[in-house]
Amino acid sequence: MPLSAPLSPIETLRARLATLQPQIGRGVWRFGDPRVDDCLPGGGLPRGVLHEIAAGGIEAETAAVTAGFLACLLTGLLAGLAPTGDIFWIAPTTDLHPPGLLPYGLNPARLIQIETRDDTETLATLEAVLRSGSAAAAIGETGRLGRIPARRLQLACLKGGTTGFALRRWPYGKPAAGEDPTAAVTRWDIAPAPSAMPAPSGTSDRDPGPARWRVTLVHARGGIEGSWIMESTASGDPHAPHPFRVVAELAPAQAAQSTRLVG
Amino acid sequence: MPSWPLLRLRNQPDSSDRTPPARSDKPRATVETLRTVRRLAAVCPRAAAAGLAPDQTLAEARAICPDLVVLDADPAADRAALASLAAWAERYTPLAAPDPPDGLLLDITGCEHLFGGETALAADLSGRLERFALPHRLAIAGTPAAAWALARAATARGLVIRIKPGTEAAALAPLPTALLRLDTRIVASLRRLGLRSIGELGRQPRGDLTARFGPLPTLRLDQALGRAPEPIAWPRPPQPWESRLAFVEPIGTADDLGRTLDHLTADLCARLEAAERGATRLVATFLRLDGTRPTLAIATALPSHDAPRLAKLLREKLPTLDPGFGIDAAILAAETTEPRHPPQSTLAPLSPATTPSLAATPSLAATIDTLSNRLGSDAIWRPAPHDSHIPERATTRIPPLAQAPAWERDPSAERPIRLLRRPEPIEATALVPDEPPILFRWRGALHRVRAATGPERIAAEWWRRTPDDTQPESNRIRDYYRVEDSNGARFWLFRLGLDGTPRWFLHGLFG
Repeated sequence: MPLSAPLSPIETLRARLATLQPQIGRGVWRFGDPRVDDCLPGGGLPRGVLHEIAAGGIEAETAAVTAGFLACLLTGLLAGLAPTGDIFWIAPTTDLHPPGLLPYGLNPARLIQIETRDDTETLATLEAVLRSGSAAAAIGETGRLGRIPARRLQLACLKGGTTGFALRRWPYGKPAAGEDPTAAVTRWDIAPAPSAMPAPSGTSDRDPGPARWRVTLVHARGGIEGSWIMESTASGDPHAPHPFRVVAELAPAQAAQSTRLVG
Repeated sequence: MPSWPLLRLRNQPDSSDRTPPARSDKPRATVETLRTVRRLAAVCPRAAAAGLAPDQTLAEARAICPDLVVLDADPAADRAALASLAAWAERYTPLAAPDPPDGLLLDITGCEHLFGGETALAADLSGRLERFALPHRLAIAGTPAAAWALARAATARGLVIRIKPGTEAAALAPLPTALLRLDTRIVASLRRLGLRSIGELGRQPRGDLTARFGPLPTLRLDQALGRAPEPIAWPRPPQPWESRLAFVEPIGTADDLGRTLDHLTADLCARLEAAERGATRLVATFLRLDGTRPTLAIATALPSHDAPRLAKLLREKLPTLDPGFGIDAAILAAETTEPRHPPQSTLAPLSPATTPSLAATPSLAATIDTLSNRLGSDAIWRPAPHDSHIPERATTRIPPLAQAPAWERDPSAERPIRLLRRPEPIEATALVPDEPPILFRWRGALHRVRAATGPERIAAEWWRRTPDDTQPESNRIRDYYRVEDSNGARFWLFRLGLDGTPRWFLHGLFG
C-alpha cells in the first residue's frame, strides 16, 4: 500500500498496533489539553471501555478524592454523549453522599446506587450492568480486581457499549494489594493537591479554592504515562465548558525515565 | 375419611411404643380430657365394630374392649394434617379446602375435563388415596352440602357416588337427618317427632320448622338443594392469573423444573398479554410429594409479560429450591398485575433534564429486575432529596425506576462527597473557641489545616427530640467547617454545642 508520506517508526508501530487490536470503545472524550490528550490512545479518554481509578494511603481507604475526580470525569464524559441514562454506583459501603456530586456538575437524579455485600458481588453486579448496556456509565467500588474479573468487565463494557470504572478502595484499612496488572484500558492514580487560595496568608481563616488533584496516568493501553495537577472548574453548571483545567504538568524523574509505549 | 385422627397417627412415624405398627391390629381410639373425665374423641373401625363410639368415657370403653389402645387426641395436629392433604389435593383444582374434622372439599367445576371427566377424576383421586392407604369415600354432587351428606352416607370403602346436578333432592331423601350437619339435639328432637329422613324433613312446612328449631334445619336443607348459598373458606383465594402443571410422575431434576417454569411462564404470559396486563410479582409454588410447598418469588419493577425474561428471573432462583423426593405439580401465579399498554412512540424526545427516568427503557427495567431479584430490592435505589437540614437526613431512597426528583445546589452550603455514617470524634486544636481548628488528629493521623470555610450552623430538629431528653438545645447545635489540610485533602468538621469545652467531630470528606 503506497503511503503518501513516510511514517516515523513510532507511528508505524502505532498503526500496526491499531490493526492488531480490535477497535476499542466508542470514540474518545478529550480533556481539552494536549498535555493530557496526547498521552491517551486516540487523543482522549476512550468511551465504552473499562477504566481503573486508584489512590494511595488514607485516600485508598476513604476514596473521597477518587470519587471527586470520577464525578468530574463523568460530568465531562457524559456531557455531549448521553443526556439520558443512569449512572450505576455499586459499592459495599453506602457513604457516597449524593448532594456532594452537585458541585462537580453531576446530577444525583441520574444516580442509581446499589449496595453489595462484598467485592465478588460488586464485580458480578458491575459486570451485569455493563453487559446490559442500559446504563450511561457504571462504577464499582472494589478492593480486589484480579486479572480475570477485569478482563470480564472489559468484555462486558465492549458488549454493552457502556463506560465502566473500577474504583479501587479498601474501606476498612486493609493493605492495598500489589500493582497487579489488569485489563483496564487506563489506570489512574489520584492524590489530593493543595488548592490555590486567593491570597497566601498565615492564618488558617482562608477559603480553600477549587479542588485540585495530582493525577497520574499510570497505565494506558496504546498511550503513555503522565502526571499532572488538575483543577476542577465545574461550577455545578452542567453546561460548563469543561470540568477540568490542567494547572501544571509534572515531569518527575521516574516518569521521564519510564516513559514507554504501552501496548 | 372416617377416623382421620387415627389414620394420621398410624401414618406418622412414631418412635414411642404407643403405636408400633405390629400392634395396629388392635382397636384404637384417641381420648381427650373434658373436665377431669377422659372421653373417646375418635375410634378406629375395629373399635367401632366392638361397640365403641366417640363421647364414651374411657372407663366404659375399657370395660367393653379391654385391649383398646388409647392415644391422646391432638386436634391441632389433625387439622394441620388435613390442611396439608387439602394442599396436596390442589393438584386437581385450585379450590381445595380442608373440612374438619375428617373431610376434604374440592370444587372441581371446570377442572374435570383435564382428567377426562368427573368419574375419571374421582377414580384418580381414589386411586391415589388408596396408595396412601387412606380409607375414604367420595361423592360428587352439585352442592357441597349434598356431597358432604352422600360421602358420609356411603358404607363401602373407596366408593364413589356421583349424582347429576338437580337430582340432589331425590338422592338425599332417604338419608337420615343427621347428615344435614345439624347438631345432635335437633336430630334427636326431629326423631321424636318421627322425622327420620331428609325427605320427610323437606315435606314439613318451613315456617313451623323454623319456629320450633330455629333457622338451621331449613337453611341446611336449602344449602343441600342449592337454594341457599354456602360460603366456603378456601385456603387460597381464587387467583385469576394462575397456570398450573400437574405431572404423571413426580419430577425433581433442575432441567425438568426449569422447563416447567418456561412452560408455565409462557402460558401465563400469553394470557396476560391477551388481557394487556403485566405481572409485577410472580410466585411459583411447587407441590412436593411430602406435602410441603416450597415457593419461588420474583418481583419486577415495571409490569411485564415478557415470558423469556420472567422465566429467566425464576430460573435464577431455582438453585434455592429443594425438590425433596419429587414434585407433583407446579403452580405459577401472578400475585399482582397491572394494566400494561404497548409502549407509545413519542413524537419528540422527552426533556432529559427534568424527567430522566421517564425514558426508563425496558432494558433498564430488565437490568434492575435482575439485580433486585439477585441482591434484594432494598439493595438498589435512587437517591432523592429530603427536606431536612440535618445532613444525615437530607437524602432518602426511592425505587430505582421512580420519577427522578430535582436536586438543587446551594453554593453556600457545599456537601461532602463521602458522608460518614456517624460523625467520628477527633482531637482538634483551635486558637480561639469560635474558630476552625489549626490541627486535628483523625484515625491516628495528624492534619494541619491550611484553609477553612465556615461556620455553617445546623441546629437539631427540635420536633424530633424525645420528651425525656433534657439536654439543652444549645448543646445540639453543630457548627460545620470545610477545611483543607496541608496535603490538599478536604474534610467536613463540626463543633458540637455552644457551652463548655467544644467537642469536634469529622463528618465527611470532600473529593
